[in-house]
Amino acid sequence: MRKHLILLMSLACFILQGLTLHAQQRFTVSGYVKDQQNGESLIGISVSKAGTSLGTVTNEYGFFSLTLPAGEHELQFSYIGYTPIKQTITLNRNQQLNIKLEKSSSQLSEIVVNGKQEKAVNTLNTSINRLDIAQMKKMPTFLGEVDVLRSIQTLPGVTTVGEGANGFNVRGGATDENLILLDEAPLYNSTHMLGFFSVFNPDAVKSLNLIKGGFPAEYGGRTSSVLDIRMKDGDNQRLGLTGGIGNIFSRLAVEGPIKKDESSFIIAARRSYVDVLFKPFLKGDMADTKLYFYDVTAKGNFKLNKNNTLFVSGYLGRDVFGFGKDINMSWGNTTGTVRWNHVFNDRLFLNMTTFYSKYDYSLKFSNEDKKTGNEPDQNSSWTSNIINYGVKPSFTYYISTSNSLHFGVQGIYYTFKPGKGGGTQDNQQSEVLLKDQHALEAAVYLDHEYKPSKKFGIQYGVRFSAYQYLGKGTAYYYNDTTPGVRRRLIGSKDYGNNELIKGYYYWEPRASAKYNINDNHAVKVAYARTTQFMHQLSNTASPTPLDIWTPSTNNIEPQVADQYTLGYFYDAPSGLLELSGELFYKTMKHQVDYIDNANLQLNQYIEADLLPSKGRAYGLELMAKKEVGATTGWVSYTLSRTERQTNGISKNEWFLNRYDRTHNINIVVSHEFNKRSSLSANWVYASGTPGTFADSRLEYQDWDIPYNSSDERNNYRLPAFHRLDLSFTRKGKQHKRWQGEWVFSLYNVYARRNAYTIYFQQNADDPSKKDAKRLSIIGSILPGITYNFKF
Amino acid sequence: MKQRSMRQITKTKDTLMKNIRFVILITLAAAGFTACEDTIDLQVPNGKTYPVLDAWITTEGGPQSIRLTQSVTSYTNNTPAPVLSDATITLQDLTDAKTYNFAFSNGAYTYDPGGDLSIGKVGHVYKLTVLYKGETFEATDTIKRVPEIDSITYEFKKADEAASGEEGYYAYMNAKDIAGGNDYYWIRSYRNDRQHRNTDVYAINGAFNDDVADGWVFIQPIKEGITDDDKPYQKGEKVIARIASLSHPSYYFIQQVIDQLNSGGLFAKVLENVKPNMVNVTNGGQQKMLGWFGASAVSFKEKDIQ
Repeated sequence: MRKHLILLMSLACFILQGLTLHAQQRFTVSGYVKDQQNGESLIGISVSKAGTSLGTVTNEYGFFSLTLPAGEHELQFSYIGYTPIKQTITLNRNQQLNIKLEKSSSQLSEIVVNGKQEKAVNTLNTSINRLDIAQMKKMPTFLGEVDVLRSIQTLPGVTTVGEGANGFNVRGGATDENLILLDEAPLYNSTHMLGFFSVFNPDAVKSLNLIKGGFPAEYGGRTSSVLDIRMKDGDNQRLGLTGGIGNIFSRLAVEGPIKKDESSFIIAARRSYVDVLFKPFLKGDMADTKLYFYDVTAKGNFKLNKNNTLFVSGYLGRDVFGFGKDINMSWGNTTGTVRWNHVFNDRLFLNMTTFYSKYDYSLKFSNEDKKTGNEPDQNSSWTSNIINYGVKPSFTYYISTSNSLHFGVQGIYYTFKPGKGGGTQDNQQSEVLLKDQHALEAAVYLDHEYKPSKKFGIQYGVRFSAYQYLGKGTAYYYNDTTPGVRRRLIGSKDYGNNELIKGYYYWEPRASAKYNINDNHAVKVAYARTTQFMHQLSNTASPTPLDIWTPSTNNIEPQVADQYTLGYFYDAPSGLLELSGELFYKTMKHQVDYIDNANLQLNQYIEADLLPSKGRAYGLELMAKKEVGATTGWVSYTLSRTERQTNGISKNEWFLNRYDRTHNINIVVSHEFNKRSSLSANWVYASGTPGTFADSRLEYQDWDIPYNSSDERNNYRLPAFHRLDLSFTRKGKQHKRWQGEWVFSLYNVYARRNAYTIYFQQNADDPSKKDAKRLSIIGSILPGITYNFKF
Repeated sequence: MKQRSMRQITKTKDTLMKNIRFVILITLAAAGFTACEDTIDLQVPNGKTYPVLDAWITTEGGPQSIRLTQSVTSYTNNTPAPVLSDATITLQDLTDAKTYNFAFSNGAYTYDPGGDLSIGKVGHVYKLTVLYKGETFEATDTIKRVPEIDSITYEFKKADEAASGEEGYYAYMNAKDIAGGNDYYWIRSYRNDRQHRNTDVYAINGAFNDDVADGWVFIQPIKEGITDDDKPYQKGEKVIARIASLSHPSYYFIQQVIDQLNSGGLFAKVLENVKPNMVNVTNGGQQKMLGWFGASAVSFKEKDIQ
């Protein structure tokens, strides 16, 4: 505790020093930066005093605040893809300045961006990748569809277990260790169709930030990464329609002003339609097949007055599968966010977010279609859900050009309905109902950003996380047994509403520092401790939509990770090329693992089947990026390793995680031939993921049972994965309002059969033969055509 | 641990995932490509070898046999497992205090009670003792009750009517769980004769989980479980269905084996070794014996596809 007090006190000293040092005659210019054409607020725009290193960047709402000495200043606003603006102001009082930037019509005109505040060489943070929807749209697509999650997989440090897998892995973390935020509401399932498409409609996405390390204190709740996706605000200039028609689904979005320049809305929807197209061809068991997904994303923003803006956004997505009345299932996310931006004064900015998020699934079975003679009616169902309510006021206090504070509190209340299953036969009923679970996650945090000189900057802070596993519920107590064996229940205790069952409390120090060797070179270091209280229970290659999330309990300790990062950043003097290299080392505690033959569904005593494990991951990430000019893109290379150790698995020794990839290369290149035509290519190479292979066979009851006599987990590797994708975009002629474009894409151009899994089976035709089989999810070249339009 | 095994859902999930995978394949096929499975030549160093006990005593009349083999040190090695003939195998009916000595002949250890007599009796507890290379292994199991199979029915589906796209006869097993308590079953089907194993399914009560569907008619996935959808029966073939009752430990073993054999695809599980129940009771014993000793009451039904 004493250590913490000292830490807090030194923090306070630092900040006070910041306040007093700059108590000379200074004034603040603050305001918003927006897109000229559609009024979208622009994030991460460089705002600087021309010819100096003084400057800042706009926040997630396009707001900036810059405090400068009294007098005349020339301010420059710039961002890639926009024509920079210079504006001279005379500061003799605090003043507001709202700026509109115009998109540069084409990347072809090699505009050299001078404002470098947003370049990695000048920011304090390491391990952050930002992508705009414009960049995502340039990349080759899967079946012609721009996909948020596929695009982040081209970034260094991000991998998946295979094509079509649900979720992604960041710096050696499991898929459930990523906090995925859609307009600040957490999402629990990020893909449609079991992993093939991500749930984010590109028509409604503005940009994303992927934070892999050096986490600002504001972020918590997951140990590996934060994927912060921001929706578009909607065009506040004119009513417009955008959409697309592709092989798998179609999209349509409407956006427009509610009040010109001030308030706007966007509603974007998608639906897949293979089921509709196929209906005439399906007979017998398949006649009534249902298969589709849809999602609706909507947002409105209302400028109440110059200091208050309100944002309301929501998402609803659903996947539906069914065969007549036999089987019907569906799952999806629902989120809602209300945000209030309040500018207290030129230097104090508040964003107050409240959110709701729900993930649920439901399965229904009936024998109605298939029942014969006097068989009884049988119906059964299975449902589960997780619901969160959250509130997080966050303050930014721009003390001076070299000092700012970011602080706030956060609270999330969770309810879990892990599962309800059961059914009826005629009038007989039977049911399994797992008990509800409740939890409260709260945090308070403070970050101080301090740039004492042109060369040196530091952001440091602390987050205090409190987690409480609450009633009404039942705590179970299990015996200690040989690790790897199901634990036996020895007792249980019921708790009343909101009664504390188990609490966990953590201090999470965070720090990032930067040192500029000169204008073009910078070295950065970062450390962050992160904690995680929610865990997805899944023992399959990638999580299924039916794998439930469980809170930390008296039996499941929260996960804790410590990550150290060292980075080197280079920005070519021309501003055309950026290079970066980062080293990371991460240790993880209390990751969840499973006993053999664990029962993870509808199991009240699921905790008896879980094993705590510890993990470590380390690696090197290199990236070269060119964002300006006719040819743009990046090359990234990751060399990494991720391992875990679990008592009861693999002889208690360290073993590779299923998602370990030693080498991972991504090349993303896009070339604009002229204003209407562009071509892009993406090549990925990744070492094969580890697998557990059978080295022997047991003959038993006419079966051939695969057996791994080494008892070592993930002791082999699948063959390496590589794939080339191409995409060609041809824009139609610009009509008065109508603008169309064709996107032709080829996925897996050289039709490689990349192995997703290898498994062992008797030959179906000749049981005396035993085979090792390779499953390739996508084993051929896959063309896609999409027509996109804007009206 | 009342609700310990909620297998309905896992099983249902597997069935579902299979179906969903199929639907996705249609979708992807519509989009112009297919996923593919192919046999590959995998180089895995040979594993260690262990003795494997294949012992399953049933209530069926006539001789009972037990096999002891050596595990094959490569999965894809097609040579049959070497038979171990130098063990001494004894079965005790602990309830009746009877001992049966199994003798080795023709590749297996057998005991013939004579005529149509049966050594397996419902409710009795059996202990198997195997003496091998100077060390003694033991396991026990109990024979639980089993329901009759009322009938086997079938229907013909054309290729475009079947979810698997395979034309043929799809057979159904009509049977009902015995009411009261949790009953565990292992259902196996054979094609034409008992030498040709076809499918395997497990069940708890009429469905897949404890405390649910007690006394029910077996639900759809179990009822349909005697047909291999990828290879339905053809005219002139015989469908043979068997229900074997299981004790809880034996159920857990069978279920793990079946899951293991069906694992694969998008949601493949990691290869987990099935744990044996033979315990080495020798002082300072070093050997490990894989496999399982189980005991079941069984009921059969046959149907010719005409």
